[in-house]
Amino acid sequence: MAVSATSVEGTECSSGGNQIVAAPEIQPMKKKRNLPGMPDPDAEVIALSPTTLLATNRFVCEICNKGFQRDQNLQLHRRGHNLPWKLKQRDGKEIRKRVYVCPEKSCIHHDPSRALGDLTGIKKHFSRKHGEKKWKCERCSKKYAVQSDWKAHMKTCGTKEYRCDCGTLFSRRDSFITHRAFCDALAQESARSQTQNVVISNSDHHSHRQETAKVEVTVLPPSCSPPPPPLTPSTGVLSPVPSVHSSEVPEKATGVLQHQKGAVAEAEAAEKCLATATATTTTTASGGSTSSGNNIVTDNTGVFASIFASPSVLPPSQSSPASYSNLVCGVVETDRNAKVEPMSLSLSSSLYRSSTAAPSLFPPPDQTLHRQYVQPALSATALLQKAAQMGATSSNTSFLHALGLAPPPPSSSADQYQETSIGQWSNIQSKQERNDNSGIGRDQMLMGPPAPTTLDFLGLGMGGGTGGSSGGYSAFLSSLGASVSGGVSFGGVQNKEWDDSGDKKPALL
Amino acid sequence: MYRSQVISQIDMKAELRSNTTSISLSNQSSTLFNSHQNPFSGALKGCLGNLDGACIEKLLLHCANALENSDINSAQQVMWVLNNVASTSGDPNQRLASWFLRALISRSSRVCPTPMNFNGGRSAFQRRLMSVTELAGYVDLIPWHRFGFCASNSAIFKAIQGCPKVHILDFSITHCMQWPTLIDALAKRTEGPPSLRISVPSWRPSVPPFLNVLTEEVGMRLTNFANFRNVPFEFNVIEVSPSMEESSFNFNYEFLLTQTNLFQDDEALVINCQNWLRYMPDQASSKDSFLEVIKSLNPHVLTIVDEDSDLGSTSLASRITTCFNFMWIPFDALETFLPKDSCQRMEYEADIGHKIENIIGFEGRQRIERLESGAKFSQRMRNLGFYSVPFGEDTISEVKFLLDEHASGWGMKTEDDMIVLTWKGHNSVYATAWFPYGFED
Repeated sequence: MAVSATSVEGTECSSGGNQIVAAPEIQPMKKKRNLPGMPDPDAEVIALSPTTLLATNRFVCEICNKGFQRDQNLQLHRRGHNLPWKLKQRDGKEIRKRVYVCPEKSCIHHDPSRALGDLTGIKKHFSRKHGEKKWKCERCSKKYAVQSDWKAHMKTCGTKEYRCDCGTLFSRRDSFITHRAFCDALAQESARSQTQNVVISNSDHHSHRQETAKVEVTVLPPSCSPPPPPLTPSTGVLSPVPSVHSSEVPEKATGVLQHQKGAVAEAEAAEKCLATATATTTTTASGGSTSSGNNIVTDNTGVFASIFASPSVLPPSQSSPASYSNLVCGVVETDRNAKVEPMSLSLSSSLYRSSTAAPSLFPPPDQTLHRQYVQPALSATALLQKAAQMGATSSNTSFLHALGLAPPPPSSSADQYQETSIGQWSNIQSKQERNDNSGIGRDQMLMGPPAPTTLDFLGLGMGGGTGGSSGGYSAFLSSLGASVSGGVSFGGVQNKEWDDSGDKKPALL
Repeated sequence: MYRSQVISQIDMKAELRSNTTSISLSNQSSTLFNSHQNPFSGALKGCLGNLDGACIEKLLLHCANALENSDINSAQQVMWVLNNVASTSGDPNQRLASWFLRALISRSSRVCPTPMNFNGGRSAFQRRLMSVTELAGYVDLIPWHRFGFCASNSAIFKAIQGCPKVHILDFSITHCMQWPTLIDALAKRTEGPPSLRISVPSWRPSVPPFLNVLTEEVGMRLTNFANFRNVPFEFNVIEVSPSMEESSFNFNYEFLLTQTNLFQDDEALVINCQNWLRYMPDQASSKDSFLEVIKSLNPHVLTIVDEDSDLGSTSLASRITTCFNFMWIPFDALETFLPKDSCQRMEYEADIGHKIENIIGFEGRQRIERLESGAKFSQRMRNLGFYSVPFGEDTISEVKFLLDEHASGWGMKTEDDMIVLTWKGHNSVYATAWFPYGFED
């Protein structure tokens, strides 16, 4: 499959900018076969020089010497010159399909079987891969070499974000939906709702509550602490909290959840809420959000506020500007613009997620609220997780660590996803097991073939090629294979072992 | 001259890996490189300083030919060179080469069985189990899967418009990752969501991605989500009992016809095959039998998604070339946005390596990957009497919108009624939709 293609500095000419053409050349020992990677094996493989690829106005009108970036534009322009019919025609060939290779030798597209089918494609590729990144996004400081890439990025950067209850952020809706469907936060919410047995009566206090309780929710900016692992429903942990709030809570909750409608409203509102929430940050709670550790009372009300702050309440027809305060106080049908009490949500990221899903999880529309904020039957692990999240007291944290139940540092493969700490735990455990297994395998390998075999790794034996081939071959295979299996497994850790094994085993060279 | 030249090349290559080689090698080089059979020395010289895909492909082909001819020496030599070139943390070509090398080793170990850890019929790979949320992220790493999900869901959504009850029979290897977006779309349907049932078989081919929970757990979560979105939902696992060993199956899908309680008359039946047909064995025209059973179930629509490459050839060399020239696509795509030491990237590549190992390392019934290109497959469907359904404009724009959110190398094209995901212009995944019969109603 060797193809010789030479590239030469291009001179501009009117028939187009392609200078050098190289036909595919097949090695004599191989049959000509259809190369699956190349759409058309008879295509002309063209290798342009870097200068040509980077040049912007490659197509020049022969009449007025005006330069164009695209051939089509040049042709359009030439029409304007009122050329006699003969000169209007191009040079007539152009039937054969052209594919382009990258001039950069180490590039994957230098190989004709990886050639790209269109000129713009190869030019963009060359700029992206081997060119200088001149375009920069102001918001996220990503750099681009091709202007159209930068433009495409600017369209979406920072415009939309979807946040799952577990705290993970998504820029794409479909990945958000898929994640959400299977996220532990949702599962735990449903489990929690199923065990609830308190029916909170439909209270008419809610309007009263609305006026007195201004609830404002702070959205933690993404730059805030890394989202903690998804939590089990939190409120069980808060039960020791001053009971002052607990009486208030159910009624507030009633007010909120009583007005839930169908999933349609929920979903749309949720998205709107999420989409806009990231763009708006409430101001009043900024102080509170940093004082989370010390102020349990605030935290708790913040917690409850976050639970109420379910945007599911809002029908999509909400027309007022979607600031969070409005969303939260849109609890009551009657009063969309009730004042909200500014409360810090130090735990917003952790608790908000449990709240948004919960309200509309299971309630049949005509049932009154069944959410319960004092949860008797939480598992110890969940409680401790919650305590860790609250970060309330240092004793809690050390207790957690002592129990070995502190959320482990995010494993490298989970750095993008929020799993329960249990999930991470088993992940890490299984990773360690794999480490151990492959380590054992390698050691056995090392011990297996005796030292002289290191010279004999190709199974050639001392005397010559074919004699000891099968025995030596298996030794070679096992030494090679074990190193491969030891090194080529999962995760970055094993990767280091791969390199180490290379050093320890001169046989593998 | 020749010998020193070769040694210097070896030294240069050895720098890639470690540096303890020259002494031991020089003692052996006489036997190694001056043997009268030395077909690969030309290849080695040709690859001097050049690790491009063509070079690696040549080496792989040499190795395959050597194995097919039972030329152990040559195979060893090539493997040794490949081992120097390959690296799971290098550039895409090197990474790809490492998985191919591993597959070749796995294969040759069956030629010369060793007492060590290569079992006869089993993959040398360990299974990596993911959690559901990990899998949710995994399928969205590159649009490889999401493309098929999006196209199929859009076609299904259109086909079941106005239907109050829908039953989806899902044959897929991605554990229902496709359905949340459909449930979400159905929840927002203007006429209200239908009553939805999703059934999956209890068996799936033993290929990645593997989950660390049972299908029932996945179903529970999906049910949970559907309830959350107020879509009446039911999830079933259909018990199938494959008679064969785990790695291959040959059970008769006709049992589906006998499951009278499974299919209800007032339901619109949708059958979804996503990366499934390629696991049908070639013998006894199992693919055709399966498709005929599907046809007789008279679904409202049949959506089929698979990878667009012909990897079922009996010739090892041909499979190696085709596979190498196809699998570079995901490797290249991952390279554009994940660093070389990214765990996610390596795990994704390892799963592709699992596939490569099966395609190259196994024969007969143990080779369960029997991929057929979209064009060939479409012809098969037409021969069986299916009618292709073109994807609508809104589907196409949905897919384009999806691709816009990924790296710019991803594109899409239509070929007849098929839409194909392309990476830098090369076909990767195709999606199709079919009716079992012509338009009757």
